[in-house]
Amino acid sequence: MKTAQVIYENGDHRWLAIVRDPDRPGYLIDTNEYLVSIGDEAILLDPGGSEIFPSVFSALCAEYDPRRISKIFASHQDPDIISSLSMWMEFNPDIKCYISWLWTGFVPHFGGTDETFIPIPDPGMDIPVGRERLRAVPAHYLHSSGNLNLYDPKARILFSGDIGAALLPPGESGLFVENFDRHIAHAEAFHRRWMGSERAKRDWCARVADMDVDMLCPQHGAIYRGDDVRRFIDWFAQLDVGAVKS
Amino acid sequence: MSQAAVTGGELRRIVRINEEIKSVVATAFKINLMAMNAIFLAKRAGQAALGFSVLSNELRRFATDLQQQMEVLRQMTHGSVASVTALVKTERLNRLVERMRSEVSGQARAIIDRYLRNRQTTSFVLHEEAIATQNRRLGQTIADTAQLVELGSVLARSAKIEAAYGGSFSAALMQVSSDFERTIAEIHRSLEQLSRHQD
Ligand SMILES: [Fe+2]
Ligand SMILES: [Fe+2]
Repeated sequence: MKTAQVIYENGDHRWLAIVRDPDRPGYLIDTNEYLVSIGDEAILLDPGGSEIFPSVFSALCAEYDPRRISKIFASHQDPDIISSLSMWMEFNPDIKCYISWLWTGFVPHFGGTDETFIPIPDPGMDIPVGRERLRAVPAHYLHSSGNLNLYDPKARILFSGDIGAALLPPGESGLFVENFDRHIAHAEAFHRRWMGSERAKRDWCARVADMDVDMLCPQHGAIYRGDDVRRFIDWFAQLDVGAVKS
Repeated sequence: MSQAAVTGGELRRIVRINEEIKSVVATAFKINLMAMNAIFLAKRAGQAALGFSVLSNELRRFATDLQQQMEVLRQMTHGSVASVTALVKTERLNRLVERMRSEVSGQARAIIDRYLRNRQTTSFVLHEEAIATQNRRLGQTIADTAQLVELGSVLARSAKIEAAYGGSFSAALMQVSSDFERTIAEIHRSLEQLSRHQD
């Protein structure tokens, strides 16, 4: 089973990371899910694939009452991001799913109805959670053509979806990046192959370098914090992406 | 009731159980701390509080057992979520096959019928049975826990009696054992809620 860990807490404003499932079958990619709760409302970020729903749901239950989750944010349309939607709809049919407008006709194949989806326009939008507003920030073509990050200005946390993702070997299961150089080796092949656009990458790096980010939380692998956020942006900026190794 | 309402209800029931488990775990943690304080207090009271000291140690063990029992329950609810998930998936597939069946005839329909018969008697029923079994085991564990809590109540009551012999520490020991009694009563209420969430 996965575990839910608090990565940010300030009064009733919390970020939970749901991570590392030792029971997960090896053929499934390991994913991180995040929950942002403010007051008595919460939004679940990239709830994960349907295969891991039991694990995510149970881990979450141990730390938070999931009846208070009214919103889901899906960074993009991949099955490891959002194929559990049908299960979340079983649990709460009124839940709303924020996703790029590009995918509102595709993701219903996983679940949801006409009322479920709130399309996010290309420039992004604010998403109210409790008394605060989180910001959906464009990250298109990194890797999905309709792709968004979610920024929490109060907590200074950026949920970056597949950007910053690392496929960690067994044994390296720390929640945070501890040694940047060693860590980034596990992220390189992923970024070269999955990130498709050099221009989009440069735009993203410029945009995020201008933001106040204490923690960069990817959907796979460890979380970057402090100076490692800057290091990641610099590393990504100079990386040659969108190429198949021949 | 529609199938979605049933499985959704099942998930919400699991959440209610988990909320109760969390509250018992928090209370058990409190009892553990209280028992530690009681042990120190009894030490200070010395000879007069020997019986009280033994009971405090027992109460501490009780709190640990209770925490363990809650972990067992939590693992069980995890199993239930997995079964509900499997049930939903099977149901979904059945619905699709059902639709396919209504759109074909002759040989194709015969094939689908055979397939459906196999499925119905295997996975779907199995998942439902798994859920029923898990619920029975959950009920049994809650009943076992109720017995454990009963023991806790007895310990707290005995501590109260022992407190009377505590000499100059009597008032302080009495205060502590009343706290125990009140806190264990809280757990009693949680357990009642738990057994109510069972069905
Ligand atoms: Fe992806
Ligand atoms: Fe991914």
